[in-house]
Order: sequence, then C-alpha cells, then structure tokens
Amino acid sequence: MTRYAFLCLVLLVACGRTDRKAVSPGTVSTVASPPKTQVEFARGFSISYFGDYKEVKIPNHAAGKTDTLDYLLLPAGTAVPPGHAHAQVIRIPVQSMIVMGSPHIAQADFAGVADRVTGVGNADYVYCPVVRDGLRTGRVRQVGIESSLNTELVISLHPGVVMTMTNPDATFEYATLTSAGIPVLPNADWLETTPLGKAEWVKLMAALTDREDLVNTKFDSVTTAYQRLAAIGSAAAVKPSVIIGLPFKGTWYTPAGGSYVAQLLHDAGATYHWSDTKGSGSLALGFETVAPEALKADFWLDVSDVSSRKDILSQDARYGAFPSFRSAAVYSYIRRVNDRGSSDYWESGAVNPQWVLADLIRILHPGALPADSLIYYKQIQ
Amino acid sequence: MTERPLRKFRLTGLVLLLLLAFLLDVSTGTVSIPMKDILKILFAPSTADPTSRFIVNAIRLPKACTALLAGCGLSVGGLQMQTLFRNPLADPSILGITAGASLGVAAVMLAGGSMATLFAIKELGVTGSWLIVVAACLGAGGIMLLVLALSRRLRDNVMMLIVGIMIGSLTLALISIWQYFSSPEEVKEFLLWNFGSLGGVTGLQLSILATVVVIGLAAAWMSSKMLDALLLGVDYARSMGLSPGRARTIIICSTSVLAGSITAFCGPIGFIGIAVPHIARFVFNTASHRILIPACCLIGTTLLLLCDSFAQFPGSQTVLPINIITSIIGAPLVIVLLLRQTTAHPW
Repeated sequence: MTRYAFLCLVLLVACGRTDRKAVSPGTVSTVASPPKTQVEFARGFSISYFGDYKEVKIPNHAAGKTDTLDYLLLPAGTAVPPGHAHAQVIRIPVQSMIVMGSPHIAQADFAGVADRVTGVGNADYVYCPVVRDGLRTGRVRQVGIESSLNTELVISLHPGVVMTMTNPDATFEYATLTSAGIPVLPNADWLETTPLGKAEWVKLMAALTDREDLVNTKFDSVTTAYQRLAAIGSAAAVKPSVIIGLPFKGTWYTPAGGSYVAQLLHDAGATYHWSDTKGSGSLALGFETVAPEALKADFWLDVSDVSSRKDILSQDARYGAFPSFRSAAVYSYIRRVNDRGSSDYWESGAVNPQWVLADLIRILHPGALPADSLIYYKQIQ
Repeated sequence: MTERPLRKFRLTGLVLLLLLAFLLDVSTGTVSIPMKDILKILFAPSTADPTSRFIVNAIRLPKACTALLAGCGLSVGGLQMQTLFRNPLADPSILGITAGASLGVAAVMLAGGSMATLFAIKELGVTGSWLIVVAACLGAGGIMLLVLALSRRLRDNVMMLIVGIMIGSLTLALISIWQYFSSPEEVKEFLLWNFGSLGGVTGLQLSILATVVVIGLAAAWMSSKMLDALLLGVDYARSMGLSPGRARTIIICSTSVLAGSITAFCGPIGFIGIAVPHIARFVFNTASHRILIPACCLIGTTLLLLCDSFAQFPGSQTVLPINIITSIIGAPLVIVLLLRQTTAHPW
C-alpha cells in the first residue's frame, strides 16, 4: 500500500508537466563519433557521443524553463573539454553508485553491474539478490532518501554517481553532494508515458558503465517481445473492463490516460474507463466517481499489497459489492515479494515490461498465450 | 414574539434546515443522480437502478450519517470546552485528545511503518481500517487518562487549559519526530488521514461511532446544569452545591469520548468544534446549555452536511478533503456573526 501510495504521489507531481519536445529523443546528428546507442522511446534523457566522451542531458521544463541538467561522461584521467563549465562530470565506467529507487537497481542488474551498487535509499524495498547480499555483508549501505538522506555517509562512500528519483523539473537540492565532487543524476524513469520508454532508461545505465553493446542487445529483445505481445493483446476480440488500485480515505488514485500504466492496459487488450484522460500521472477520484465503473468491471488489478480478499473487505466492506470481487477476478503484483513485503514488480518489472504485459494478457485473455505461470501477478483469493 | 416561542420557532427552522441539508448532501455527488431517483431509492428501493442505489445507500447515506454524528459530537464537545475554560477559543482538541488520536495513528502508520511491525499487528487479526481506528482510540484514551490524572492535582481550570495545550504540543512533537524519519509514502498516507474524511465509515464502524457519540452527548446533556453554573464561576457553582472537580471530570470525559471517537473514525476535523458554539449562542442569544446543546447539534450537523456537499466540487470528479472546506466556510461565517453581534459574551 505504502509503495503504491508513493507511486501515486510521484505520478501526481508529474501531472503538471508540459510536453518534452525541447530535446528530441535520440542522439544529436552533429556528433563527432557514431552513437553507441539510440534512444527510441524514452523522452526524459538524451545521450550524445563525442570522440572519447559522452554527454547526457536531462531536460527540465518547469514553468517556462527549458534548460537541462548536463552531464559529461569522461573516461578516468581525461581533461574536461572546453565549454562545459556547468556540466557535472561523471568518470566512466562508473565503478560504484548509490541509487535511490527500485528501478535503478533493476537497471544496474539489467546491465550486469548490480555488484557496483554500494548504497540504496531504503533497504526494505530491495529485491535483487546481489544487492540484498551486499546489504547483509555491509558492502551496500542504506543512505536514506530526500530529507532523511545521510549526506555524510554518501560522501564517505565516494560513489561514482548518485541516482535520485527526483523530478528534474523540481529544484535541484543536492548542492552539498555536487560541491563534494559527487555527481547527482535524477533518474526519473517514472515520468515516461510508455512502458518501453520507462524501461529504456537502462541505456543511461549502459552509457555510465560502458556496456552499450550488451544492453542494446538485451533491450532489443525486450522491445521485440513487448511489441509481439502488444499485438496479441490489442487485437483481442473481447476487451474486459478493469479498475485499478484501492482507494484510501475516500480518494481513489487511478492512472491517468497518458500514464505508462494506461498504455500497458491498452496493450494488454483491456477496456479502461479513464484511458482518454490527460496527464501522465494519476487521477485523484472520489469513491463515488469510480463506483459506477467498479460495479461493472470484469477485473480488479493492482490492489497493492493485500494478501486476501478478506483483507480488502476489512478495509471497506463495500468493496464486496463489486462483481470482480465476488468472482475473485482480483489480481495484484505480489507473487515476487521480499521478506519485508516489497514487490519485485517495482524493481525488475520496470525494465522487463514484456513480463508485466504477458502477465496481464494471461489474466485478461486466458488462452491467448501458451499456458504458463504468472511472473509478478497473483490472484487474490 | 416572546423569547420562548421565538426559540421554538428557531429550533423548528433549524430542524427543517437540517433536513434540507441532509437531502442536499445525499443528492449531490460527482455522479449526477436526479432527485426523483434519489427519492425512489430512499422510499421504493426495489425499483431503482442498482448502480445509483449502491451510490446512495453505500456511499452517500453513510457519509451523511457520519456528518450528522461528527457535527453533533464536535460542536457539543467544543461548547463544553468553551464553557469549562470560559475561553472562546477552546475546542474539543484543546485537551490534546485529538493529538492523542493522531499519535496512535502515527504509531501504526509511521513508527510501526516498518512492515514487519505491521505484519505482527495484522497477526492479531486487526487489519485495514480497524487497525487505524483501534490505534486512534488507544492514543486518545491514553491522553485522556493522562489529562484526568493531571486534572485531579490541578484545581484551577486555566492551569488545566495550559496543561492540555502543553500535552497537545508534546504529542504533536512526537508525531513530528516520526514524520521526519518516515519515508515520503508513509508521510503521504498520514497526511491524507490528517485531512479528515467522512467517507470511510460504514456498517459496523458507523454503529459503533453512533453508540459512542450518543453516550457522549447524553453525558453532555446531563452535565448541562453544571455547565450553566460553571459559566458564573467556580465559587458560584460550589455555592449551588455542585462539586466543580466532579463536574470537570464528567465534562472532560464526555468531550474526550466525543472528540476521540470522531477523530478515530474520521480523522481530525477542525473548525466545527470552535465555530458552532459561537453560532449557536448568536442564534439563540442565550447561555443556557439546555438550549445550546441541541442548538449546537442542529447547527453543527447542518454546517458539516453543507461542507460535505461543497466538498464534492460541482462538475469535478474529485472530492476535496472535508477539513479544508470546514475552515473555508466556517471562518468567514464566524467573522460575520461576531461583527453583527451586539450583546457581550458570557465570559
């Protein structure tokens, strides 16, 4: 629940964003050297290649501003090229990193560098076995996030880069770290509007660790698998209706039409009542607004971390009136959880949207895919 | 018109206003349901559309009933505190009872936020919304016992008031420490609870809340004579043969039960407790608690029902938190009434 609430919070912050057209996706055509990777789906960052160094830009579109956060990815020992006084310098390949978000751990794991994670925001949320082992042995430390960030600990760990979940439009509040020579990079994959765009942030991890070739190959197969599944899902003759999430204190947060969750539902061949709404965050609706849809929806998904239908009823007995509840068509991403109850859906699911999509298609359209067990989702009995 | 029939006339008017506000609250919402359908659902349910029936019966009616209970309880609690402390700024949260409930909720949402603790509590069979209600009741009850213990040692009501405020500050400081060390998602959840909500109370919870509020109101009604006497001063009360210490205990218990239970089920709802007694005194121009208590119930309920109707922003799909609306509507109302008031306050 808390996890989902946080996602809602961060997505809500994203609601007011303007279009991200200022920096075109992909690489700049005037670069001196051929790009080692192409950004196709993600809109929140760009990578350019110049001889022996790389340049990463994270655009910021807050209230009329169109400036970007600039990063120079320089091999160790290379001098900073002229004209980049304001850029933060990251020495590559990055040998150690502190990451705040679950997707960042998954991105590192995807690029095969999970062992280079030396600090995490909150140890309770970690699923990746490599990082969990590190936490047990003390190789990986919990550093806290935002206001509770232990700045001194971060500095003492000498990370090659610190990745935050911060919205790049928000005020940059890590001046203490940057003045200590530690580059801070907002890795805001959650602002992307498509599941593939969200997953594509692995290419940023690839650029940081000089692993473009490996990540390109792996990401291409993710893309192929996702697109093949999306073709099956969106071609389904019957599109069952779904509702998402559990309301809290009368407010029902549900993904907006422009969010990556709405895109996932579309690709899975679901009918989602709010698919035409604007914004890439979530909508805060009243229980009454959702009730007419809930009373006819075939499926009820993402009910957070409840483990039984009894748990759902104990939150509010009125949910028992929903047909999806009565027919036990209630599913949530609780199949892979760590000993603290935190789901791997938020971690590896972020870079493997094809597995999430396959789960959804298997739930919504039994028989459309070869029989197999679900990966992230579980039926709530 | 002499004073007595005039009061009767005003009371009748308020009852009618309350009925209208109740009907308005049940008929407004983000989903538009015509009045004739509402009446059909209320009086001939079998012929009504099932979706509309669910919305009215399962969402709007419990919410309106909660508004009724909270409106009565908070305003009467506020009236008792204003009289006990002879202070126009007192409200039911002045003794720290509301903060105590918040402390209980913070304990499970923030400090107990480590999921392992929550798992352990769930093992006891207390889950979901009950967990929060039980925690809030324990917090409010604990602070109430503390206040009562202190009140036995303190003879002076003004000192009691200061001690109450200090306990409130202390409790809020503890909550702040937890908030500071909690993750944003936990703080967000706690914040949502802190906004107050009339929407989550249904079924058994509503029955429990109703029982507790009725008990609290009955105690308040029985203490109305003591309250009248207290207005004239502790010495006067003593000369009337009342024991001010016992009166204080009953009044503190009654207010604590009202404020604690309502906060446990709805979260902290501000303003009603402080504003409504002033409105009641203005409308009835009296200091008699036999009149002010029913008047507070009627006005408090009507005001909260109206606030709830406004909270469902017309044309929008979103519902604003009730706490915001009570202040937005309540504050200007009190200012206007105070500006028009010609007679002096009883203190």
